[in-house]
Amino acid sequence: MNIVAKDFTPVTTVPPLKASRISKEYLGGTFKALDDVSFELQENQITAFVGPSGCGKTTMLRIIAGLEYPTRGRLEVFGKNVQGPGPDRGMIFQAYTSFPWLTAMQNVEYGMKILKVPAAERRERTMNFLKLVHLEKFADTYPRSLSGGMKQRVALARTLAQNPAIILMDEPFGALDAQVRWEMQELMIELIEREKKTVVAITHDIEEAIYLADRIIFFSRQPGRIKADIPLTFKGGRRIKQKEELLEMPGYAELERQLFAMMREEIK
Amino acid sequence: MESAISKSRDASSFSQQNLPSENIEAAPIYIPPKERFLEFRRQPSAQRASVLAFAGALMFLGLWEAGHYLTPASARKFFPSIGEVGSALYVLFAERNFLQDVSVSCWRIFISFMAASAIAVPIGILMGSFGNIRALFNPTLTAWRYLPAASFIPLLLVWFGPTDQAKIALLFIGVIFFLISLVLDNTTAIQKEFVEAGLTMGASRSTILTGIVVPAALPAIFDSMRNMIAVSWTYLVIAEIVGAQDGIGAVMMRAGRFLNVDVIMAGIVTIGALGLLTDLIFRGICRALFPWNVERRS
Ligand SMILES: Nc1ncnc2c1ncn2[C@@H]1O[C@H](COP(=O)(O)OP(=O)(O)OP(=O)(O)O)[C@@H](O)[C@H]1O
Ligand SMILES: [Mg+2]
Repeated sequence: MNIVAKDFTPVTTVPPLKASRISKEYLGGTFKALDDVSFELQENQITAFVGPSGCGKTTMLRIIAGLEYPTRGRLEVFGKNVQGPGPDRGMIFQAYTSFPWLTAMQNVEYGMKILKVPAAERRERTMNFLKLVHLEKFADTYPRSLSGGMKQRVALARTLAQNPAIILMDEPFGALDAQVRWEMQELMIELIEREKKTVVAITHDIEEAIYLADRIIFFSRQPGRIKADIPLTFKGGRRIKQKEELLEMPGYAELERQLFAMMREEIK
Repeated sequence: MESAISKSRDASSFSQQNLPSENIEAAPIYIPPKERFLEFRRQPSAQRASVLAFAGALMFLGLWEAGHYLTPASARKFFPSIGEVGSALYVLFAERNFLQDVSVSCWRIFISFMAASAIAVPIGILMGSFGNIRALFNPTLTAWRYLPAASFIPLLLVWFGPTDQAKIALLFIGVIFFLISLVLDNTTAIQKEFVEAGLTMGASRSTILTGIVVPAALPAIFDSMRNMIAVSWTYLVIAEIVGAQDGIGAVMMRAGRFLNVDVIMAGIVTIGALGLLTDLIFRGICRALFPWNVERRS
């Protein structure tokens, strides 16, 4: 399964991503979106970026993806300095990016075609991932006939099939309605658990952050800095698939209260 | 059958009301509110649409015919009736080899439009994709767009004489600059995340261009081409009026000299019909090429 992108096989103790002293200035240096931000991602952890609107979450994620460049700082993936985007960091956007001119199957295949995965293996992996996102019946359907949640599942399968070391998501479920969102969250937990990925997911939704994440990085606004770095220890190192179970866990309510308080502080 | 129903009744008498049963009357037929002619954004069925299209055409023809009879008798020959134009058309095709003129005109449109598209589409896509290429060409092309194509007629006549090349060149000039700017807009309008998704998947620039930008922009580009070919017909008549021996425009111009209004109008009708035909062909091609595309309404 791990034939794609095998250059990125983890080396022990080297973090999958290390961001050192990242700053991003806009408008000719007059506006600081990010100010001296440093963190390391832990392997196979889901990290949520949380913070008020405009605090620089998207900017940070796009810098990691290589779609934007920091004004200062350094970015390392498994110890190697990176510049620009690459298939080691897969991205899932809030906007639907499944290509409308390709069927669901061709979409999932597309990323592997780019990586020149041999045809036979490509077919097999495509079918596997379509099954994982429950779209095997829609293999030959064009995205215009798929619902928003299904389109997002195509994008998820396409990204996972490329086997990136790190998966970046910018409010991936932001455009979905509540029930579909909830389904997608459960699916994501299941897939990440299975595929063993390091994930960064941006979310506005505190409940979603607590549910998905193993760790929350909370950004403050203007300039964007890390306000708090919170490991979700109350889960006891597990991922809780059932939301009901999570709600009953000691520590849940307290953490949610804390995060809301932090958010209120920032909005003021 | 009988026993199955009674069995289920026994099993849960409280849910009886939800069980389908022959005893209960069928649900009432839903009578939707009466549909009026003017319903906001309601699309007619294909059948209804063709009836309406036909009615619209009849309305136009009615106005035409009424216009003919309302014109004072002394001037009526300058506003011929449908029948007169029809017989002029018949005479043109049957006796004056009009088909030859029509094919010459179509050929000029076809060649000039193919040449203009072959240059405009790639340039527009490149300009829409790469800011530097856009900065390189756009100011100059914008200036060209403001030059009326008809102002090139004297120059083209000096260069080529009253030849086919002169006419084709005029049609080419009349279309290419607008087509470039439309294709440029179509290309910049594609969802930017498509390109970014390609980048994060590790696609090369040429793969992103040919595998993502082009398919994403192509349906809109075809729409632009469909609109520009109508402009091409406009220039055709101008081109053929100026020193041409053949073509629909030349026939019309000659008829004008002898005040044969029925022939002029026959030419206009022919161009209209050809325009409609071109439009239908383009739509057909679009439907065949982009089955994945949502039907555009325009
Ligand atoms: N291209 C740009 N030019 C100027 N300012 C920008 C640009 N991109 C982002 N910014 C500014 O940088 C700040 C951070 O933006 P960013 O999109 O990263 O915020 P965010 O945390 O993702 O917000 P949201 O939660 O609303 O998505 C904002 O104040 C924004 O206005
Ligand atoms: Mg954002």
